[in-house]
Amino acid sequence: MDKRWFYPWRNAAQRQTLVISLCAFFTAGLLLGLVGIILLIFARGGGYFWPEDIYEFGLPIDNKPEVRVFGEFQGSQGLASLGDKSARYWLVYSHSNPPYKRRALVAAHRVQNADIARHAARVLLHDGRTFLAKPVFLNKHDERGRVLDKLPAYQQQVQRLTDQIETIRDIHLGPLHRKISTLTLKDSQTNSGELLAGKRAFERWQSKVIQLEATRGQYTLTLEFADTNTITVPLNQLKQLVYPGQLNQVEKLWLTLGNIWQFLSQPPQQANTAGGIFPALFGTVLMVFLMTLIVTPFGVLAAVYLSEYAPRNAVTTAIRVAVANMAGVPSIVYGVFGLGFFIYGIGGQLDEWLFGDSLPAPTLGTPGLFWASLTMALLTLPVVIVATEEGLRNVPAEIKAGSYALGATKAETMWHTVLPMASPGIMTGVILAIARAAGEVAPLMLVGAVKFAPNLPVDSEFPFLHLERQFMHLGVLIYDGAFHSQTQTSGASMMFAACLLLLLVVFILNIIAVVLRNKLRKRYQKET
Amino acid sequence: MLTLFERETLNLATLNDEQTAIRVEQLNLAFDKKSVLSEISMRIPANRIVALIGQSGCGKSTLISCFNRMNDFYPQCRYEGKIIIDGRNINHRNENVAQLRARVGMVFQKPNPFPMSIFDNICYGLRLQGVTQRRQLDEAVEQALKDAALWNEVKDRLFDPASVLSGGQQQRLVIARALALKPEILLLDEPTSALDPLTTLHIEELMAQLKKRCTIVIVTHNMQQAARVSDYTAFLHQGRLIEYSDSDTLFTTPRKKQTEDYITGRYG
Repeated sequence: MDKRWFYPWRNAAQRQTLVISLCAFFTAGLLLGLVGIILLIFARGGGYFWPEDIYEFGLPIDNKPEVRVFGEFQGSQGLASLGDKSARYWLVYSHSNPPYKRRALVAAHRVQNADIARHAARVLLHDGRTFLAKPVFLNKHDERGRVLDKLPAYQQQVQRLTDQIETIRDIHLGPLHRKISTLTLKDSQTNSGELLAGKRAFERWQSKVIQLEATRGQYTLTLEFADTNTITVPLNQLKQLVYPGQLNQVEKLWLTLGNIWQFLSQPPQQANTAGGIFPALFGTVLMVFLMTLIVTPFGVLAAVYLSEYAPRNAVTTAIRVAVANMAGVPSIVYGVFGLGFFIYGIGGQLDEWLFGDSLPAPTLGTPGLFWASLTMALLTLPVVIVATEEGLRNVPAEIKAGSYALGATKAETMWHTVLPMASPGIMTGVILAIARAAGEVAPLMLVGAVKFAPNLPVDSEFPFLHLERQFMHLGVLIYDGAFHSQTQTSGASMMFAACLLLLLVVFILNIIAVVLRNKLRKRYQKET
Repeated sequence: MLTLFERETLNLATLNDEQTAIRVEQLNLAFDKKSVLSEISMRIPANRIVALIGQSGCGKSTLISCFNRMNDFYPQCRYEGKIIIDGRNINHRNENVAQLRARVGMVFQKPNPFPMSIFDNICYGLRLQGVTQRRQLDEAVEQALKDAALWNEVKDRLFDPASVLSGGQQQRLVIARALALKPEILLLDEPTSALDPLTTLHIEELMAQLKKRCTIVIVTHNMQQAARVSDYTAFLHQGRLIEYSDSDTLFTTPRKKQTEDYITGRYG
């Protein structure tokens, strides 16, 4: 046998080429995976906002051989374009029986026969539900079957009625209600005349509201499903009506931008499967912000002590090793610690001291924003300490000596010279902490993040920032959506969109921190 | 030779306390158990330039650091004996070291400007002393920079970062920074070893002018420099003060064999 067969890469240059090729291969694989993840999330998350075309199909439903439905595509199995006979498409369709939204796998050949339904619309209701149907006529009072052209005018009229109702509620009913409750509480005879008058006024305004609501309820839109069953929707429940088949690409893009804005600015609906994610976005950013405020001083002071003041002995070394190991503790352990120590321990004790009257109902001893921020600060503390120590080590000894030689004490040297010069290192730690904290979900679910919070942690009520409130978090929303997606048609798209947003949030927070760090680095860069 | 500022030579043996800036008595210093300085006794005359020479590791940098207690940063460093400045023993443990360092300025081998503007570099010590009034700071900065012969070069860019200056300018900036505190004593630890010959000349001229307002102790490896700029020279060898006299005598007619060997380049 030819000996050379065993040593095909005898040449040193060739061997090196092999090594480099292998490295490049694995790096390429890594990059491909990364790009794949990002593309998937962008495609699925971005697709959530794009108005897809609506098709009309015949499907076997509820033991009937063929029922006509309106539906839209949502991904595929197999490659129909390459002639794959077994390829199928995921289809989300509307049917006249509730729930209006269903999901099915449809063979590719049937899809190819399907037609775009130009007159079918995507109907979005104010409560977050959507369905696909063809608007047929408008109704007002007893007059049925008006033409659809009048829709904008009718919507204006309905809006005017809604405004009237809201005004009465805000200006008359609200104050009257408060007045009546205070009078009832006082419970004295002298007030009875006043009380009676108040109640009478309240009833008068209420009947006015009921009358207005009845008038408003007479404006309706009748829509037809593909199987010719109809549904009638009061116009005040209708939020949006889109005909994807009649839009060109620019209009679709415009609509997409509008949808993105809605997504960012509206609260979620229908158990986090529809609507927007504003409270979750707000909660995530606020939690990360608070965490940064807590972790930065703690981490920096701890690092300064460890590297500048602590005696160089076995204990300090042990602490250093322990800190480094803390970074590797699973995050759920921090969650349990936060729940056990911060909430039940500290929070429970504070309740006993400060809010003893309201026990056993806890005031501070429940999961909330502050405890969550504190737990996340603890979780990210090792990262900040390690990075800050690294930054402190990089400050040249001559600079420190120069400061001492000018009569500065150790603390003054730290404050005026060493910490500013270590600030890029500190920023690096904070960046890593932010990236970690924004992405954590598991500990948050134990210490304050919930699937649905009725109020934002910030509002116009004193003291404006409510640290004890529970809050919503993008990560928890994704987790929730992912579970919904296993049993329901909706939720999955929302989950991908929330993923995309979480990525963007982490990305933006990082960019801000990196820009800040580079600015500091430029300022304190030592030229040699 | 700079003859312009030369003064009458004092007899080191008969210096009285008024003529003395630093009096060292029986100074012993050790790192861990390794003795670095043994039984150093010397008087450093006021408003003169004193050079410390000797081969590497002989303890001259350690000795100069004793004068503002920079050795305190080595926890393994132990010392005994007295160093008297202004009638006070600075080695006493109740001595306010930060105040001492404000009175005894020090310049290091490598220029070490802080990463701030030229102006802020010079204000650093003053601000620590509690000077905050802008007008006072402005005046002090101008005076210090003029004293360090740097004013004309930087007066138009006081608020540029100090890192834009050249090495020699940086070293003069560091000297100006120390001078802003109006120190009685200026310690220079090989101030020109990182600089080119022309810049070195600048610094040497500066030293000759500065001795009007303060005492200068300089550590140098450069024999010519010691002979050029210093009024007195001390030769250290293995932690002991071998010979200490006025520079002319030491470099022309050394009394000790070891000194002669060193200055003629037989070792070191």
